[in-house]
Amino acid sequence: MVSRETDGARPAEDTGRPGAVRLADVTHRYGEGDDAVTAVGPVGLDIEPGEFVVLVGASGCGKSTLLRLIAGFERPTRGTVTVSGAAPRPGQQAGVVFQQPRLLPWRTVGGNIDLALRYAGVPRDLWETRRAELLHRVGLDGTERRRVWEISGGQQQRVAIARTLAADNPVLLLDEPFAALDALTRERLQEDVRRVTARTGGTTVFVTHSADEAVFLGSRVVVLSRRPGTVVLDLPVGLPRGDVDAEDVRGGAEFAALRARVAHEVKAAAA
Amino acid sequence: MPPASAAPAALRDPVDEAEPAPRRRARSRTGGALRRLALPLGSLLLFLAVWQSVAAAGTWSETLVPPPARVWDAFVDVSTTHDGVRGYNGTYLVEHLGISLRRIALGAGLGIALGVAAGLVMGTVGWVRSLFEPWITFLRTLPPLAYFSLLIVWLGIDEEPKITLLAVAAFPPVAVATTAAVAAAPRHLQEAARALGGSRRDVVRDVVLPSALPEIFTGVRLAVGVAYSSLVAAELVNGLPGIGGMVKDAANYNNTPVVLVGIAAIGVSGLLIDGALLRLERAVVPWRGHA
Repeated sequence: MVSRETDGARPAEDTGRPGAVRLADVTHRYGEGDDAVTAVGPVGLDIEPGEFVVLVGASGCGKSTLLRLIAGFERPTRGTVTVSGAAPRPGQQAGVVFQQPRLLPWRTVGGNIDLALRYAGVPRDLWETRRAELLHRVGLDGTERRRVWEISGGQQQRVAIARTLAADNPVLLLDEPFAALDALTRERLQEDVRRVTARTGGTTVFVTHSADEAVFLGSRVVVLSRRPGTVVLDLPVGLPRGDVDAEDVRGGAEFAALRARVAHEVKAAAA
Repeated sequence: MPPASAAPAALRDPVDEAEPAPRRRARSRTGGALRRLALPLGSLLLFLAVWQSVAAAGTWSETLVPPPARVWDAFVDVSTTHDGVRGYNGTYLVEHLGISLRRIALGAGLGIALGVAAGLVMGTVGWVRSLFEPWITFLRTLPPLAYFSLLIVWLGIDEEPKITLLAVAAFPPVAVATTAAVAAAPRHLQEAARALGGSRRDVVRDVVLPSALPEIFTGVRLAVGVAYSSLVAAELVNGLPGIGGMVKDAANYNNTPVVLVGIAAIGVSGLLIDGALLRLERAVVPWRGHA
């Protein structure tokens, strides 16, 4: 399989649009000298504004490293990463949802949202409205005053998503955000993420090891080989998006076929 | 019957084991209250009884072991005006204590503020820590009396050396605790704050400092304890009025009852302050154990 990168040159000004993510010949190594481990690469990937790209692969294939490169937490050892036309810096171009909620325990649910609003430069007199609006978007109305340890793991992850949406970044990055949750909660949150991102129209990059999750969420699924991860499959997913019944999507024949194909590729790539 | 009960094993009847849960809980609650109140009170009464009998036996002179009643009389004397004398040396006991507490508040407060500031810098900047940590460790091992003479030479015999001594004594525990806590601030939360667009300063204020608060509080309690135990040392020279000065002065005249009153006053006020700090900690750090 070939990555889309080789399809041909795209006009350079395209990659500068808000929400565009471009990885050009990116390789990343951890450590130095003989201890260095190549985690990922070389990877070339062009993500259009508004796309929902799911990076899927077995554990240790470097998919989280790719996400950290896009988030700006790491600089690539080789190649270049640009987000909205610039080298990514943490908190500047993209919002990140991590595997663990990473909420601040010394702040209430509302306080965690407020912090994000403050960092995003939202004027203080708008916080109350924006906070209520964000919590409503993730289905947590009226939880402002709760302590973060009083709510369930699934609710904590919803707060983490709401907080990330506070800045209205054109790019949203999610690193296996539902891996630690039970199956029922996971399905509900998947539906929420699908709905929320369809509405904002921003770019989403989602990392998972689950073929099922990848096909359900993505408008495009990218399968990575085992370490060092390279792109082995770049598959557009044409399942209906927006206001659709999730059960219809999951129950369809197309979903089943795509899921089987992705699952097969992931397994083959990991072998 | 849960082990929390204070009832001796011999009093338990076999039916007890089959009791329904609510009653058993009620019983153990009264047992808990008994343990919390009656046992400490009992040990205090026992202590007073032993003290009284030792004093009455007359093995040692009254100067060495004054009976409880004499100490109580001394307590009343230093708290009231008697024979035209106001308290001890013209100052009531509570005033001595108040003056000393003010010295502690100023000295320990200064040491704690500097300790938190130094700990913040040392915990975040590696080379500053390497530079200063050996000095702070050295300072911490010194008993305050060791540098008190030096402080007197430098600063005279008024308030300055006393406040400075308490500040120097309180500084190291807070600095050490803050440094360790700041250096151990959870990376994943700092990263999350940066991902939300927080600056370096935002991250220190909103993540590093709050995450270090429980440890800082432990350091503060330690520092107040150290300052308290240095109080008598700080008031060795020109300490009157002041509770430590009162103890020192009374000791010069073999006035054991007043010495004991002073010691009791220092101990009780120390316990009250530690209790207040614990309460404050629970109010300020409600997430302790949840982070």
